[in-house]
Amino acid sequence: MQLTGTYTFKAPRDAVWQAMLDPENIRRCMPGCEEFKTTAEDQYEAVMKAGVGSIKGTFQGKIQLSERQPPSSYRMGVEGGGKPGRVKGSGVLTLTDQGGTTLVAYDGDAQVAGLIASVGQRLLGITARKLIEQFFKTMEKQIPATSA
Amino acid sequence: MIPSAFEYHSPTSVEDALGLLGRFGDDAKLLAGGHSLIPLMKLRLAAPEHLIDLGRVQGLSYIRDEGGAIAIGAMTTHSAVAASELLRSRVAVLAEAAASIGDVQVRNRGTIGGSLAHADPGADLPGVMLALNAELVARGASGTRTIAAADFFTDLLSTALEPNEVLTEIRIPVLPANTGSTYLKFANQASGYAIVGIAAVVTVSGATVADARVGVSGVGETASRASGTEQALRGQPANADAVKRAAQQAADGIEPLGDIHASAEYRSHLVRVFAERALNTALGRAQGRG
Repeated sequence: MQLTGTYTFKAPRDAVWQAMLDPENIRRCMPGCEEFKTTAEDQYEAVMKAGVGSIKGTFQGKIQLSERQPPSSYRMGVEGGGKPGRVKGSGVLTLTDQGGTTLVAYDGDAQVAGLIASVGQRLLGITARKLIEQFFKTMEKQIPATSA
Repeated sequence: MIPSAFEYHSPTSVEDALGLLGRFGDDAKLLAGGHSLIPLMKLRLAAPEHLIDLGRVQGLSYIRDEGGAIAIGAMTTHSAVAASELLRSRVAVLAEAAASIGDVQVRNRGTIGGSLAHADPGADLPGVMLALNAELVARGASGTRTIAAADFFTDLLSTALEPNEVLTEIRIPVLPANTGSTYLKFANQASGYAIVGIAAVVTVSGATVADARVGVSGVGETASRASGTEQALRGQPANADAVKRAAQQAADGIEPLGDIHASAEYRSHLVRVFAERALNTALGRAQGRG
């Protein structure tokens, strides 16, 4: 399943970069985050109970950040499982300076196993995008310059 | 294809259903016809701990002419809506949309209230409700309130219903004289879900379009009105040229979804094409031509 999208932060790129890679911020912004711990540098384990409308579930997974190119891009890998099945995926986040604002683009691919992949895809993709948008929205509020 | 374990409740009145909702809160889910919720549960995309089945609640299945409005009970099935003479003659757009949902099994079990409360982006009825300026009646512990369709669909799979409310009735205001309506969709061949669904309601006054309302389903995260097209058509001559021009704006303001069934660009294109066709049919009916 391809997941692509963009979000514009009303904040300069350095501030967005700093916020997005801060573990405490990641924990705070993850929708329905119930547990979050750092297992190694750039490696986290999390439990989230999240969803949109009727679609709701508890997911447990590992997050790995890599290929850091400050302040313009990094890769985020996610591997985990929940009631609907196992998910494994990774994507590149690109931060583009737009003179005061920052365009964050994500482009990822997630492998979803089993029946859910074929039957559930229609709703799964948009639900995932919705949760990513929630993450960015909350993240934007963590950046001091824009929270005023 | 086996859902997570859940507790099944089968209340016989709305009051009892509300009591159960109050007791189990976020862990509970209302079950109407089950043709959206059960598949989600089988895929384990939804795993409510308590399922409150409205199937045995009396008095939620009816279609009544109440003078200024037609009242439809929330548990009325799609097939009952599609077969209703009252709706077919007075609100063709709703009867046609109901007749186009899924397959015969889905229409025999699925309900108007269940479909609206679930608010699937591919569902047919949300756009129809918007075009009809319908009102949705919700009952909660503290009483009954009426929500305008325009305020009801708040986001993807989300509505203005509170977690402790039950949707009980849909009210369709009577359409003015010289009004025609229709529902036209480009359906996913496997599921029947709307890739694009257009609900068109047109009122004429002599040779002029007095009012036009267009509801769009299946395109964005929620249904919406094609307000640009509506404005462009109001006051224009009631002919195919005016419809053609106005329909060009039908996708304006909608952020279309893109998926394996149809790209965002293709959906936008289809909205314009289907808006033109649906408006022409509705206009023809308003003028007494079929």
